[in-house]
Amino acid sequence: MDTEKEVTLSAQAKAVAARIGSLRDFLDYLGEHDQCVTWPDAVLPEPDIRNVSVAAGNNVSTGPAVIFDKIRGYPGKRVAVNVHGSFGNLALLLGMPKTTPVRELFFEIIRRWGSDKPLLARVDPKNAPVHENRIDHGINLYDLLPLYRINAHDGGFYIGKACVVSRDPLDPDNFGKQNVGIYRIQVMGPDTFTLLSIPAHDMGRQMLMAEQHGKPLKVSVMIGNHPAMPMFAATPVGYDESEFAYASQMMGAPLRLTTAVNGTDILADTEMVIEGELQLNQREVEGPFGEFPGSYSGVRKVPLFRVTGVSHRNNPIFENIYIGKGWTEHDTLIGLNTSAPIYAQLKKDFPEVAAVNALYQHGLTGIIAVKNRFSGFAKSVAMRALGTPHGTMYLKNLILVDENVDPFDLNQVMWALSTRTRANDIIVIPNMPMVPIDPAAEVPGKGHRLIIDATSFMAPDNLGADPHLVDRPMGPEIDALMQRLSELQKGGVR
Amino acid sequence: MKTICPRCESTGVTQMHAGMENGQVLWRVWHCKDCAYTWRDSEPAESIDPKVRPAWAQMKGVDFDSLRQVVPPARKPT
Repeated sequence: MDTEKEVTLSAQAKAVAARIGSLRDFLDYLGEHDQCVTWPDAVLPEPDIRNVSVAAGNNVSTGPAVIFDKIRGYPGKRVAVNVHGSFGNLALLLGMPKTTPVRELFFEIIRRWGSDKPLLARVDPKNAPVHENRIDHGINLYDLLPLYRINAHDGGFYIGKACVVSRDPLDPDNFGKQNVGIYRIQVMGPDTFTLLSIPAHDMGRQMLMAEQHGKPLKVSVMIGNHPAMPMFAATPVGYDESEFAYASQMMGAPLRLTTAVNGTDILADTEMVIEGELQLNQREVEGPFGEFPGSYSGVRKVPLFRVTGVSHRNNPIFENIYIGKGWTEHDTLIGLNTSAPIYAQLKKDFPEVAAVNALYQHGLTGIIAVKNRFSGFAKSVAMRALGTPHGTMYLKNLILVDENVDPFDLNQVMWALSTRTRANDIIVIPNMPMVPIDPAAEVPGKGHRLIIDATSFMAPDNLGADPHLVDRPMGPEIDALMQRLSELQKGGVR
Repeated sequence: MKTICPRCESTGVTQMHAGMENGQVLWRVWHCKDCAYTWRDSEPAESIDPKVRPAWAQMKGVDFDSLRQVVPPARKPT
């Protein structure tokens, strides 16, 4: 039930939220903080865009967004990558300093989590920047977009970061059931593409419904969006909850919506919208695609869409993502929003849970910090985590650490593993559900889970010799000292 | 020499687009109607040369109708 609770933001966060209304605004803002660069050299679509994207994403802390505007064979066209590729960029979006520790970003997301007052503004399509240009005939996606191969053995050219809007085929007037999600899209011809979703996801469910009942399924593929949209569209919200509303709530500022020619709602300031319609029961050969576990998914038959029209801003930016063997922009883009719901769901039953880090490959490995209420308690928490909606499929390896270990600081996690783990006290749960594209599955969709309890021992455990922990100084006082040391370093004080 | 698909070696390939530079064609994009592979003729050999591409990525002789369906169709397409 909505409580109409609006997020409270710091003055800086409020100013940032009010200023950023589009991808362009965000790129400008990133540039002012040295977090966006325009690549100065001419590039070939392959392999240059891939290589620069990987290099930008390798710096997880402060890697910049990169704009390419000299793409050979695509004069005048622009590509942007790595927009969400570093925690520094995410911190700026949330109105925080770009050096904010990941743990603090996590708690900022958690703080905004309870807000549920939709902040949506309506823009007349006649005044919406996205409709500055309209193409209804002679559509050629290869000409409209500077398409390129993301990984060397992908089956074609992918649109990897578009937010796809679709209406429920059986309840097309229901705003809440309108879905927005990120799905991989392979361009198949001048005016055709495949869109991969599985029946468990909202889009897959809508495809099944449309084909079962012979109803049309119209989609709008939004490319180059307000940065809150891709960041929050991937968070699993309920089927009848609007991702537009959710993204605006989390951002704490209105998102400007308008209407696509096909009737779906779209962001008014998005760079390009490709409107398409599912070709009922038609399939095309799709893949492979270098996926987030770092391996290529197989070649399969996937639903086919035909493009019915394209709207775009003047001089549009094709925002895309590098995804493959981690760390990649995909991990940064969805990591915090994968961790937050798991934390919120655990916290309801177990207030002892201090933080959840499920940044790694969409949560294939998760680290949970928890204060043991009694001996063995952390294992019960781990079992509950496996029963959360995301945990059911994704949480494969779980590491439990004490509440005073920062799960986002892997040096601390390694301390816990080194000194708390007893090898005869790990748990393997065989034949559990698993993400089909995880290569560690025994068969696609089934595999084993691992729980490592690296929390401190307590009675009636055998406490071992010398169990008394050193009380390491930590907290705001140490943080302030670290900050001062960093300033002294910069100033070159001797 | 006739262009063939680098993945399934079919000759059923179509030019989709050409990239221009100074009035000259710099590259062409091709698409295979059989295995749906799409490529640009300026790409590195690891993507477009069947002799260099890894064996696992090749699809010569594959029965495309037998590929796994991600979302099974409700009925045969009309």
